[in-house]
Amino acid sequence: MDALEAVGLSKTYARRGAPVRALDRVDLAIPKNALFAFLGRNGAGKTTFIKVAATLLLPTEGTVTLFGHDVVADPASVRPLMALVPQEGKLFFHLTPREHVYEYLRVRGVSKESATSRTDAILEAMGLLSHQNVIALRLSGGLQQRTLVAMVLATEAPFLFLDEPTLGMDPFARRQVWEVIRRAARRGSTVLLTTHYLDEAEQLSDELAVVEAGRILYRGTGEALKATVGREVRLQFSGGVRPEELEPFGRVFADRDRVVLLTARASVRELTELALSRGGEVTVGPVTLEEAFLDLVGRGIGEDES
Amino acid sequence: MSFRTQANAALRICYFNGIMPLWRSPLLIAAVFLTPFSFLFFLYVIAPRSLFPFGVVGGILFTALFTGNGMLNDCAYLRLERQLQQVFVASPVSPLAYLLGMALSELAFALPATVLFTSILVLVRPVSPLALAALLGVVLVTWLLATTLGFFISTLFAQLREIWPIGTLVFSLLSVLPPVFYPATEIPARWQWVALLAPSTYSAQLADRAVGLGGGISTGVAFVDSPLFAVGMLVAVTLLFGGAALFLARWREP
Ligand SMILES: Nc1ncnc2c1ncn2[C@@H]1O[C@H](COP(=O)(O)OP(=O)(O)OP(=O)(O)O)[C@@H](O)[C@H]1O
Ligand SMILES: [Mg+2]
Repeated sequence: MDALEAVGLSKTYARRGAPVRALDRVDLAIPKNALFAFLGRNGAGKTTFIKVAATLLLPTEGTVTLFGHDVVADPASVRPLMALVPQEGKLFFHLTPREHVYEYLRVRGVSKESATSRTDAILEAMGLLSHQNVIALRLSGGLQQRTLVAMVLATEAPFLFLDEPTLGMDPFARRQVWEVIRRAARRGSTVLLTTHYLDEAEQLSDELAVVEAGRILYRGTGEALKATVGREVRLQFSGGVRPEELEPFGRVFADRDRVVLLTARASVRELTELALSRGGEVTVGPVTLEEAFLDLVGRGIGEDES
Repeated sequence: MSFRTQANAALRICYFNGIMPLWRSPLLIAAVFLTPFSFLFFLYVIAPRSLFPFGVVGGILFTALFTGNGMLNDCAYLRLERQLQQVFVASPVSPLAYLLGMALSELAFALPATVLFTSILVLVRPVSPLALAALLGVVLVTWLLATTLGFFISTLFAQLREIWPIGTLVFSLLSVLPPVFYPATEIPARWQWVALLAPSTYSAQLADRAVGLGGGISTGVAFVDSPLFAVGMLVAVTLLFGGAALFLARWREP
């Protein structure tokens, strides 16, 4: 049995004027103990999916089961198995990080001893010890977010929904959170997270799904997603070449002062020499998840519009 | 989770959501005091002294009724602005435990004002312990009906801005117009029936009676004017609102 299984899941928000189809017949199974990431542009439907699965939103059609229980028909059976970091959730402003974690565990029925030791452990792992007794009102945004994530990860719930858990965190804090999330998975939790950081998805997930316009555009490993680009090498140029010149060689992404080309191994020598001879700089490396994502979703948008 | 752990969850929510904020910012109490105390002050200045005890009991009931307004606003705020209700719904905490925890928090907020008004009452007229116990019972039932109504209404809205005026409107209608601060005998005979539409009228009937104040509803129909009818109506309305909060309130977005 999978940890989560969605079948034909659709959600249409009835909005004044035009209704919005946020999920469109989604089929998705997430195996037990997976660390699963949702990628997708803003408004793709990631949060909507999480809300339905976490019993916070009614679907329009289709079903979701969590460990075999239907989330619509039988919420009382699934709720004890889950914990959720809502997107842009906030804290009780008069409580400290320690109180948030400890009280939330106690409310969920965790014993005093266990709640105390788990609170100590998570505050330490998330780098919150030096702020543990400061009320939330006086914490920075990133520290508040860390507290929210700490609260939820300390539950050790069998299914963890983490909607943009590292939003607004510095690079050190993000790495601490990754470690705690990995630990949760090693302990046996199943994790479904969303992120706009492609490196995070790559570091963290066993598998991912790319959501676009309410549908699953891709589902598989990050490595396999990179392979869908169909080019083996990533060349990054600073100076020396113009984007138009590169078009015939593969996929081109032009930013302010760099041009990235995803291309075949055979073209590397020729293009590198060209750029160097004109005084440019070239970096050669593997295709990144970010470009694979841009490529995949970009193609999807192109098809939609044509 | 067992019944015991759910009850425990409700008490803990009351502790960190009701008692802790009061403890850390005692000024919050003033917000609860201000309106009923101003009413009582006006009454003291402009009305005959004989009406003052009605005003004191009115202050107690106003405070109990306005726990509903607090509930409406706090629940909407935690759900829409903080997204914290979601953190409790997606958890082993049952909806009932969450509801009760929030309602108990409102009771904690109302406690200081209730104690103050009750002390004034005891100062202005002799009240037996039994009468106080009966008054307490009325206050608790009123709190229950107000908070369940407040919760139910709050779940119907998806925008904080839409909610703010609703609470003040509903709970002012319940506490200012009906004979809460004044005796029902002040209402013209043919309007007495209208007063019976507000559940707060029954709270006031019973509270005034408990502490030995007259001035009850007098429609002329003995059964309707009896305290037993008031008890029955109060219980019925509380069950109705409680049922709405538990079964009709939206725990999920539609
Ligand atoms: N409560 C709502 N009422 C109406 N439409 C909504 C509501 N919530 C979301 N939508 C719409 O549904 C679509 C999907 O939104 P959703 O929040 O699931 O996207 P997302 O993938 O989580 O985006 P983001 O990366 O920005 O968080 C969007 O078009 C959004 O405008
Ligand atoms: Mg989202």
